[in-house]
Amino acid sequence: MKHVAEVQGQSETRVRMPTRRALAKQQTRAKVLAAARELFGAQGYEGATIRDIAAAAGMSTGAVFANFADKSELFREIMTSDLESVLTAMTEAAARGRTVDEALLKAFSAGYAFYRGQMPLVRAALGLSWSCEDGQALRALPAMQDTIELFAEQLALGVERGELSQECEIKLRSQMLFDNYLANYPQAVFGGWSLEALQARSRDQIRVILAGARRG
Amino acid sequence: MNLRQTQKEATRRRVLDAARDLFETVGYEETTVREIASQAGVAVGSVFTCFASKAEVLSQVMIDRLEDLYAELDRITPHLRGTVVDRLSSIFALHYAFETRRTPLFLAHIAAAYNWRQGSDSVPYGRNPRLRGMIHDCVADGRTRGEVADDADIPLIVDTLMAAYAWNYRLAAWEQAGPEQMSAIMEKQIALVARGFAPSAAA
Repeated sequence: MKHVAEVQGQSETRVRMPTRRALAKQQTRAKVLAAARELFGAQGYEGATIRDIAAAAGMSTGAVFANFADKSELFREIMTSDLESVLTAMTEAAARGRTVDEALLKAFSAGYAFYRGQMPLVRAALGLSWSCEDGQALRALPAMQDTIELFAEQLALGVERGELSQECEIKLRSQMLFDNYLANYPQAVFGGWSLEALQARSRDQIRVILAGARRG
Repeated sequence: MNLRQTQKEATRRRVLDAARDLFETVGYEETTVREIASQAGVAVGSVFTCFASKAEVLSQVMIDRLEDLYAELDRITPHLRGTVVDRLSSIFALHYAFETRRTPLFLAHIAAAYNWRQGSDSVPYGRNPRLRGMIHDCVADGRTRGEVADDADIPLIVDTLMAAYAWNYRLAAWEQAGPEQMSAIMEKQIALVARGFAPSAAA
């Protein structure tokens, strides 16, 4: 819903007020997105049909298609706004860490906390990410790359503070941090891991990945 | 084995062979049980006397494939030489080389693990106890040879390597990466983790 709020915010700064029609369109989109989120979470990506989504939103399939090209666009839209919100939460959390380990752990934890209670949606996203076309589209979302970038920034800060050596291969190490961050989601989806269990695991993973980069 | 059991086993074999080829060429989602039966030259009912669902057929296809891989690995691993990094790299490289012989099938297996309509009888990818065991033994062996610090947390190191290994398959899914490319990245990742568990780093 963050997405919608932003668009409305922009329109207020314009000289002309948005037309009633434009506002109605925004509301329709928001209704469709809310219904789609619900159904992807309950029935998975494959299981949720446009027909079901339209019915849940209380409109015709034609009205849905007037706003979204297809199901994958709907899913991408939800993922985009979620990933942006989660990245903001992770960035703020990392800023509160005093050491590189702490900052990374806080960032991981903020991610897991965000998706807690939304595991069915995560499961749908993970499944989709393995398909060639849709996977590429998900990976191309800027927030995905920005998350790796966030980890890289934390490593760079660690180097600056003298916690990590200059030759700590930031690029490869941040990618590995991201791999491990993601690899814990299936544990939460299939193993029902709690937030505490995910945090404990993350703390250990971060330690192993950073071990070779410590100074001294 | 009586005649009836022999026939049932033959049907099972034909269904699995047909399914493996169809999942690979047509795709898992796109293949119906009817098509599997027709390709195998058996009745649809016969498929269901052997398997409860299409998901179970896929799981069995993957289990059978792994047996071939492990027969291959059992022959090769006693001959592995070099540092713990070299040995680990070889084991992972053999897995990548094996799975990319049938990339679409492997990716179908991963995606199926996340599919709702799948019953709980399908085995999620990444649950590969044989590989995990091999990696564990390789690192433990490195410790006895003094290449791995005494206080290294071996199960944790294994987990970290397995996570990197599994997620590198994204390169095959998204960039059509071949086994060499995936193995090269894996080798770098192993070396990076190894710098953390080397005895000098702990000292």
